[in-house]
Amino acid sequence: MRNTFRKMLATPYALFMALFIILPILLIAVYAFIDKDGAFTLLGNFKDLANEAALPKVVKNSFIAGFATSAICLLIGYPIAYYLTKAEFNRTGVLIGLFLVPMWVNFLLRMMSTKAVFNVLGIPMGMGTVIYGLCYEFLPFMIMPIYTTIQKIDKMYLEGAEDLGATPIKAFWKVTVPLSLPGVLSGLTMVMIPSITTFAVTEILSNGKLMLLGDFIYSLKAYNLNMASAISLVLMILLAISMLITNKFNKDGEKGGGLW
Amino acid sequence: MEEKNKKNKNDAEYIIELNGLTKIYDGKTVVDHINLKVRRGEFVTLLGPSGCGKTTTLRMIAGFEIPDGGSITLEGKDIAGLPPHKRPVNTVFQKYALFPHLNVYKNIAFGLKLKKVEVTKKNIFGKEVTKLVNMAYMPVEQKVVKKDGTEIVKTVPFCRSYQMVTVTTKKGVKKIKKINMYKKFIDDKVKHALKIVGLSGYEDRDVNSLSGGQQQRVAIARAIVNEPQILLLDEPLGALDLKMRQEMQLELKDMHKKLGITFIYVTHDQEEALTMSDTVVVMKDGVIMQEGTPIEIYNEPTSAYVADFIGESNILDGVMPEDKKVVFAGAEFECVDTGFAPNEEVDVVIRPEDWVIKREGNGILNGEITGCMFRGVHYEMTCVAGGYELILHNTVEYKPGRKIGLYVDPENIQIMHKEHINNTLPVKFTSNTSFDMCGGVYEFKPAACFDNCEYDEENDVLRINGEEVALKGKEGKVSFEFDSIDMTDDEYAAPLAGNVESMIYKGKNYLVDIKTDNNTHIYADTEYLWDKFDRVGIKVEGDKFRFSECDFMNPSAEEAGDKTNA
Repeated sequence: MRNTFRKMLATPYALFMALFIILPILLIAVYAFIDKDGAFTLLGNFKDLANEAALPKVVKNSFIAGFATSAICLLIGYPIAYYLTKAEFNRTGVLIGLFLVPMWVNFLLRMMSTKAVFNVLGIPMGMGTVIYGLCYEFLPFMIMPIYTTIQKIDKMYLEGAEDLGATPIKAFWKVTVPLSLPGVLSGLTMVMIPSITTFAVTEILSNGKLMLLGDFIYSLKAYNLNMASAISLVLMILLAISMLITNKFNKDGEKGGGLW
Repeated sequence: MEEKNKKNKNDAEYIIELNGLTKIYDGKTVVDHINLKVRRGEFVTLLGPSGCGKTTTLRMIAGFEIPDGGSITLEGKDIAGLPPHKRPVNTVFQKYALFPHLNVYKNIAFGLKLKKVEVTKKNIFGKEVTKLVNMAYMPVEQKVVKKDGTEIVKTVPFCRSYQMVTVTTKKGVKKIKKINMYKKFIDDKVKHALKIVGLSGYEDRDVNSLSGGQQQRVAIARAIVNEPQILLLDEPLGALDLKMRQEMQLELKDMHKKLGITFIYVTHDQEEALTMSDTVVVMKDGVIMQEGTPIEIYNEPTSAYVADFIGESNILDGVMPEDKKVVFAGAEFECVDTGFAPNEEVDVVIRPEDWVIKREGNGILNGEITGCMFRGVHYEMTCVAGGYELILHNTVEYKPGRKIGLYVDPENIQIMHKEHINNTLPVKFTSNTSFDMCGGVYEFKPAACFDNCEYDEENDVLRINGEEVALKGKEGKVSFEFDSIDMTDDEYAAPLAGNVESMIYKGKNYLVDIKTDNNTHIYADTEYLWDKFDRVGIKVEGDKFRFSECDFMNPSAEEAGDKTNA
């Protein structure tokens, strides 16, 4: 009786999931394999995709933006995350709050104001400004998982290293860094994937000059919903594969404090 | 106290000395002016219950805590200010602290790869300077055979030196192999350390795949491979189960003998301390209570606390009427102790196995057996004698109800000064009939608590020695006996509450140490058994207090002072 009731508690979410997660994915899968007239075609949409002249450039730009954003976020995010775990820097949690507060401001609003600032400064719009915007947007997603992993590292490992003759700097490189890799990995995934598939940021911060995969899909929806579905499906499969690899690499799931 | 036990030997035989070592956390003194000298190659155990400061002391030696006072002298050098990585000591942690991202081999090699050696080199100005460099970059001479067959000697860093060795492969073919000498050096050391801890062949194992005992062995190997001058062990066997713990005790003792390194061991397990150590240091509340060999600590405890903590014992209240005589449990015993004040109240300790059971009337004390239990080698019996409950160990069984006589060899009676004979605490008067003690306000009856005192209740007029005194705001000291305290489990029913810190059974009653919220100890006699950390209220009747050292009683206080001095 009790058990049944507990199971019933999951009903709202189960309904939500069915309606807004499973159904859309199924729709994408269906649309990817039918043509404009609704007839089944196994590879037609994918062939069209391969023939699309703009695609190689879009993919190239996406990867440049994705890798650059992840790298910059890691460079900025890791030291911040590390210092946030030090009690003396984050006694009240105010600092970590400061890094998260920008997320409370509407994302479009932030991008528009960033654009205005660039315009005033006379900085030309292009890849540089797009990467800036992406970093601005996704930096918290790098900080959070790294922060949680470093915070979970038992202080005794550092004491152990120092006891064995490591200076605090050596102990950082030989203990903290390797033990925080799971967090770095989730941070990279959480920054890379959305920055490749985002749209609007490029639209706003490159005046529509630059197109990433997200913008490409967005632009297709007006005239070719089937091709858009096909490319979405490909992206989903690629992401699933990369996630599997990450999970395998991060074999001590319980120790890592990642978000997955 | 510790100076007395040590014979005045040459200081050079001490490897480490702690002098007045003190650590304060948030205003609380955790380690309180500790003095300790450890001999080279000695196995010293710091023993005490949790919170007694033993681990903090060890962590100060390791360098993880910075002392708030005092010095740590290692081989004549004060190391109290050095960071852990510069100290020639290594620690075995209670929770092992093995690096989870490294395998067994890499865990053990961790310290070796960081090892620094002194190298004398000429700098660019031609001056000789001594620098500490990583051993991998230590310059060594290397024979190199040139293409034309001539041999030259070059100076190369240790990590790039090599030796040509002829090895026979499985197929029987002889081959010349280049062996890196630095790698071989580390390899040999790691393998040797693994052999010492009995884990040869475990090099490539993931540390998480090892059992607790194996992980502890790796932790020990990781520490001893660096050949520290002192090995610090912080409750290293605490996480192991009983069988494994006993085996590791023997092995550690064995390793200590083989390695000849000084061990400083921390534990709360008295049996472990007695089994393994050369010297046991018993600690309580950040202070060393007693220091000595396991046999000294067991046979001649200097305080009721140590006697109670180490092994089973009968601790009784007694009085020494004169030298070599002690009265307890209603009978007078001969003993060997001298130097006590006439009629001094003392604590008497008798180990259960030291009672000699005789026919009724033939002993010094008569009693009746009330309980008997078989404990393997001996029977453990309880006996009521002179109103006190005693524990006896004997290989002969005496059934409950049997009347016996008890005798103790004078040598086996251990007599100690009492740590406290009553509670004496500072107070501040809040009115003529109440005072504040440790934050609790107690009512008292002035007429019963002051000498030559009259109190007019209606007009609130207090006269002491004929002079009118207004007590409010005055300060002084109050004393009250242990047995004047009424402990209650309803903390709000009493002016002051505290937590039970420890209890000692005194045959008739328990002496309870209650720690109030401002860290003051109050001692109480009670018939009831309380549990450690129980929250209790402290009630005292208003006529049980005695006051002294109050500002308004100055003349009489001085008189009293003169008397004691004389």
